[in-house]
Amino acid sequence: MITDEQFVQRFLDQELSAEERVRFVVRLGHDETLRTRVIELEQLVLDAGRLPRPIVPERFVAAVMERIEPAPSLWRRLAEAFVAPHSLQWNLASAAAVACVATLAVGSVWVVTERESASGQQASTPVLVRLVVLQPGARTVQVAGDFNGWNPSRTPLEQASSGAWTVMLPLAPGRYEYQFVVDGRQWIADPFAAEQNDDGFGSRNAVIEVGPVNTTGAGATL
Amino acid sequence: MSTAKSAPHAGGAERGGEVDDTALVRAAQRGDREAFGILVSRHASSVLSVATRMLGPTADAEDVAQEAFVAAYNALSRFQCDSKFSTWLYRIAVNKCTDSLRARRPDISLDSTSDESSIAWETADEETPHWELEQAELAWELDKGIQALPHLYRESFVLRHIEGLGYDEMSAILGVHRDTLKMRVYKARALLCQSLAHLDRAIR
Repeated sequence: MITDEQFVQRFLDQELSAEERVRFVVRLGHDETLRTRVIELEQLVLDAGRLPRPIVPERFVAAVMERIEPAPSLWRRLAEAFVAPHSLQWNLASAAAVACVATLAVGSVWVVTERESASGQQASTPVLVRLVVLQPGARTVQVAGDFNGWNPSRTPLEQASSGAWTVMLPLAPGRYEYQFVVDGRQWIADPFAAEQNDDGFGSRNAVIEVGPVNTTGAGATL
Repeated sequence: MSTAKSAPHAGGAERGGEVDDTALVRAAQRGDREAFGILVSRHASSVLSVATRMLGPTADAEDVAQEAFVAAYNALSRFQCDSKFSTWLYRIAVNKCTDSLRARRPDISLDSTSDESSIAWETADEETPHWELEQAELAWELDKGIQALPHLYRESFVLRHIEGLGYDEMSAILGVHRDTLKMRVYKARALLCQSLAHLDRAIR
């Protein structure tokens, strides 16, 4: 036997046949208890439908995408950046234990400065400067400049993934000229360096200015 | 590797226009992450709503909602586009919510359909929205009532009357027969009416 309660519920879900519906509505007309019940349930459904929906936080989509594919390694980000020239700035809080942000120039060369973790920072404290150059086809990459007597064999770069080559140099604050040497024979400077010097041999050197370490982190400009 | 300027094209799915879910899913299955991102933003509200209603308005709910999307992404190759993406996604979301509830209270069986709401789920303290007082009170009471429902009733009530799904779709999501789901919804409604009875509803 179908109980009143079940009838009410089915009425609510509009699952009564047309005939059943008519008979039910007629009953509602003279059965106040039943009528109250229906109103109660209808109101509940109405209120439930009107409950506020949670606001999707702005960062939600980004957070999901980040979990799906975490931020690529430093090297891959650099390699990607190479195809989209624009001013790059990021916080290199990666496993490489980099501790500050550097503004990088456009082009194939990136300079990243890392704060010396040692205490006692003075104006002459060496700043760790990481040079990165993208040379995917190279067998060897070296750098020659004021800091190593222009002897490339003193400063070979290490190959990271994605065709990036890198070396970390401790440099006292000052101004340095340099060039990269690819495969022992091709000398290249950063074509986009802000300052270019004529070295007297017809080629231009790249220049890096290393500032002293301060509380906001060391800075280096190309 | 895609960059901002050269994302692999979805082949037929336009950016910014009204692209249907199936096209986006197919694109995402081919590796188009942006397409999946659009799916996320499209369905975030629904998934978050289910999670919030099932788990309470907590950071946990948001986390579970995110997890649901991550799980969907990882399982995307298994989605055959033979049902609606939203149905499939709801199923994942509901399962994640159930998992989370089980983890919270491993001693309580979630499958009990006793009418006695012996389970008192904690609700987070939430600030009263700036509505008229009666509406705010009602929403608060209703929310508490939903939170206090036995798991299976709550699940069915939320899908039916918060998400507005039909019984057929609910059956596809939960893998349970329509008639069983109807009974759960009836019971949920009856329990909620009971818990709201003390409110003076003549005002509305």
